Amino acid sequence: MAIKKGLFKTSVGRKNLMAVTGLFIVFFLIIHLIGNLILIIPDSFFPIEFWNNVANQHDMYNAYSHFLVHFWPITIVAWVLYAAIALHIIDALLITLNNWKAKGEKYAVIDNSTSTWISRNMGLIGTIIGIFIVMHMVQFWLQYKVLKIEHDLYNLVLETFKIWWMVVIYEIGIIALGFHIVHGIESAHRSLGIYPKKIMHIIKYIALYFGLVMALLYAIIPIILYFK
Amino acid sequence: MALNAKIPAGPLKDKWQNYLAKTRIVNPANRKKLDVIVVGGGLSGGGAAASLAELGYNVKVFFFQDSARRSHSVAAQGGVNAAKNYKNDGDNIYRMFYDTIKGGDFRSREANVYRMAEVSVDLIDHMVAQGVPFGREYGGYLSNRSFGGVLVSRTFYARGQTGQQLLLATYQAMMKQVKVGKLKQYNRHEILDIVLVNGKARGIIARNLDTGEISRHAAHAVVFGTGGFGKIFYLSTLAMNSNGSANWRAHKKGAYFANPSWTQIHPTALPQSGEHQSKLTLMSESLRNDGRIWVPKNKDEQRSPGDIPDEDRDYYLERRYPAFGNLVPRDVASRAAKERMDAGYGVGSLKNAVYLDFKTAIERLGEDTIKERYGNLFTMYEKITAINAYKEPMKISPAAHFSMGGLWVDYELQTSIPGLFAVGEANFADHGANRLGANSLLQASVDGNFILPNTISNYLADDIRTGSISTDTPEFDDAEKAVKDQVEKLLAIKGTMPVDQIHRRLGKIMFKEVAMSRNEKGMIWAIEEIRKLRKEFWENAAISGDEKGPNSELEKAGRLADYLEIAELMTVDALNRKESCGAHFREDYQTEDGEAMRDDKNYMYSSAWEWENGKEWKEHKEPLEFTEVTPTVRSYK
Amino acid sequence: MKLTLKIWRQDNAKTKGKLVSYDLSDLSSDMSFLEMLDVLNEQLAVKGERVVEFDHDCREGICGQCSLVINGQAHGPEGHYTTCQTHLRSFKDGETLYVEPFRANAFPVIRDLKVDRTSMDRIIQSGGYISSFTGMAPEANSTPIHHDIAESAFDSAACIGCGACVATCKNSSAALFVSAKVGHLAKLPQGQVERMERVIAMVTTHDDEGFGSCTHTGACAMVCPQEVQLLDIARMNFEYNRAVCLVKD
Repeated sequence: MAIKKGLFKTSVGRKNLMAVTGLFIVFFLIIHLIGNLILIIPDSFFPIEFWNNVANQHDMYNAYSHFLVHFWPITIVAWVLYAAIALHIIDALLITLNNWKAKGEKYAVIDNSTSTWISRNMGLIGTIIGIFIVMHMVQFWLQYKVLKIEHDLYNLVLETFKIWWMVVIYEIGIIALGFHIVHGIESAHRSLGIYPKKIMHIIKYIALYFGLVMALLYAIIPIILYFK
Repeated sequence: MALNAKIPAGPLKDKWQNYLAKTRIVNPANRKKLDVIVVGGGLSGGGAAASLAELGYNVKVFFFQDSARRSHSVAAQGGVNAAKNYKNDGDNIYRMFYDTIKGGDFRSREANVYRMAEVSVDLIDHMVAQGVPFGREYGGYLSNRSFGGVLVSRTFYARGQTGQQLLLATYQAMMKQVKVGKLKQYNRHEILDIVLVNGKARGIIARNLDTGEISRHAAHAVVFGTGGFGKIFYLSTLAMNSNGSANWRAHKKGAYFANPSWTQIHPTALPQSGEHQSKLTLMSESLRNDGRIWVPKNKDEQRSPGDIPDEDRDYYLERRYPAFGNLVPRDVASRAAKERMDAGYGVGSLKNAVYLDFKTAIERLGEDTIKERYGNLFTMYEKITAINAYKEPMKISPAAHFSMGGLWVDYELQTSIPGLFAVGEANFADHGANRLGANSLLQASVDGNFILPNTISNYLADDIRTGSISTDTPEFDDAEKAVKDQVEKLLAIKGTMPVDQIHRRLGKIMFKEVAMSRNEKGMIWAIEEIRKLRKEFWENAAISGDEKGPNSELEKAGRLADYLEIAELMTVDALNRKESCGAHFREDYQTEDGEAMRDDKNYMYSSAWEWENGKEWKEHKEPLEFTEVTPTVRSYK
Repeated sequence: MKLTLKIWRQDNAKTKGKLVSYDLSDLSSDMSFLEMLDVLNEQLAVKGERVVEFDHDCREGICGQCSLVINGQAHGPEGHYTTCQTHLRSFKDGETLYVEPFRANAFPVIRDLKVDRTSMDRIIQSGGYISSFTGMAPEANSTPIHHDIAESAFDSAACIGCGACVATCKNSSAALFVSAKVGHLAKLPQGQVERMERVIAMVTTHDDEGFGSCTHTGACAMVCPQEVQLLDIARMNFEYNRAVCLVKD
């Protein structure tokens, strides 16, 4: 009974759920990034011999996309991912509503010197990311995987990033994601109860550099494609 | 009424065990029929409340703070004494007893002091079990430091926050009892009177400081853990709201007040920096373990302390008391500081301080060791003064600190009102004319936890058939009416003199004439001034607001009204005692080299003052008999 | 020096409050902030006006009774100070200061700057103790405790329960307060027996009292007068998760 009641309820339990789902999404983001990076592999790399002599970027990207959609274990993972995202959002809403309820009257003067902007605005950043994800999924996931109208994902991607404002929107989404990761990874570990000082110190830096690297790699792809 | 201290028979070392063996106790089934009111939620009151609730009595505890964790025991810094002899330095119960008796200048009750030393051993066990993180050696065993007035290391400490840690343990024990429903706490409640039914203490009248509501509470016995009244000096190391009112109201209902004039002036507080000052922060006495006290040899010294070479410094404690040096008891250290300041050697812009220097200790032990021992004190010092004490010496000054006097109690801690008990600083017996450092946490804790729960049963055993006490009686009616009348009277003054200012003036009179050094002429003058001030207070105090809801001015005024009366009794007591002993130093009774001159022939007694006929005080004497020790001249040379 | 104070005045929890402006002159930079309020109150009392109610007691930074948010900062601008330790030398001559009570739903206003913090008492009541009754204890040195563990337990135990962590937290979470007590007792061998029940009960009561969730902004640890570490919260989470997994019903 205690487990049912405690692990994902209460102020600490809810943060557990945020942490677990968040970290899972981060793991997915790594996989997602690997796929994206195909888009910027220089032409001189092809044909790649170890993968049936894929002759160019176009074929390789589409083969990779095809694999993701049709390999059944990945479908299961995908469902887990959708659930994780949904839970992450619902849980965030619950926590935020509860925290609003806990707050007293507003201070006449608000002093923010004691914490970082990112840590205070995870909700806002998360909302931006949420909107971004919806747009992103409508553009690609819906077309390619659900409705199956578009079969050449590579072309779809390339076309999308020829529009300059689309690149801008993606950059904004990616920056928000970077911010979210930096605080999120550290916070998740704290929520799960990693308390030794030395380990937390390392995690803090890992979170920072990991967030930075992820954001940079994600961010350069639309720009490269735009100028391609 | 003749004073009967009810000291058990038998040799000193067996008295407490004999008492425990023979005292009446209450059957566990009967305890739930008995109600006890405890006033004060600190170490003594809180300890008593928790322990009595654990025994099964129904306990109500009242305190004026918003939480019992804020009671002023929290501010005790240095440590708590116990005769554990972990240091193998020859300590034992007898030595601790002797040190305390000697430190109190042979003016304390032998049997009580011995008992305190005896149960000190259990206290450390108790507090460790409650989770107090005492300082430890690297082997994992408890560590000790040394304190003023003793030659062994018997002080247990939790950095410089020992009082806080002991209080939190006690508070937590209370909270546990609150949860199980044996203890009901009334926070932000102030006691305005006690109620006597057929001569026995049977209840109290309390004011809710949040709503102004005045309520009645009845019980079979009342315990006061109300602390000291050193705030009478306005500038003191006490909390702003610490007060003597409960004790005083009890006194006016018949409780004798013992040795009221014996106030400890602590040598190491921060000096006053201006007129507006409200509080003199204490710097733990433990600092004297490693700090050296000095003033410049030159009256008009202009150099900064670091530039003054050793030959131009007067380490006056080491000079006057080579055996104990900087670790002489507090009264001696305070008086020596006053002597230097009066002679014009004080330091600081107001010439009201002396230096406490850690340079030698830092050179010898390194800054890290000093930081571990006293880090939080140095931080506290810097927060208040903006001075880094690792770099330059602290400036310290004597300040009113502890009331050795208090409600007269017998061996069972019962006052002269049957059914009214007093524990901790609120009573008087254990410290004589001067309290040794780290004995106050000890006394408060053992009174509340170990002594009272075992003595109160002797009184309550008579009440198992009494049934619950009604508050709907003429005695409660009268008491409540008197309380309401006083509140009305205070609010009707509508004068122009702020309460704090009158309090400050009272403090100045008291600190000048009834503090470290006293003389007949000055005290006669002081009595006149106190009376004038009292008159002025009742004619011209500015108390705004009303009695509904919180009104801090009304609270302060009520307390000051009592202080203005306590002050007179303190002075009367000091004037009456024509000898010097401990903190009571009479200039007219001193030796040629300025040391205290005791008069054992005429004053080997505790004075216990009775408020007679609602007009004047009558002195009762409790003779002090020493069977195990021979009073000697207290020398720390 | 001169200061303009905008002080929150509110009759009780049910009425609305507002900021009222007071000008004070002839102040000295050596004064503590609370001594300045004393001066203001003396002036108000003489004028027959109701004084500003504020909480304070020991005035040396250890009792935790003083509160106040000055210019949006719990206990004033210095960080790790209590209000009673804050002196006017921390402010500029002529400055305007906004003085407000600690704000959180779990801390209802009693009057003006006084708030009710008994919610924190109730958290301790739910489990913040060791159930050792007077007289039960074994010899103190029978359980050696490593020096560093005792010191670390002290670091947590030092919490003065002032509530600045809650006042400064954007979520009004008392996680730092709860974690300080959980950490103190979980680190010591004496606290092991009730370790799991304690943390579950305290966290649950924390929520029931209406405090928010910790989102690790770290603001609490920046104002804590006793410098209780943010890592204590992580440790509490560990204790909690361990407990919900291992505790028997």
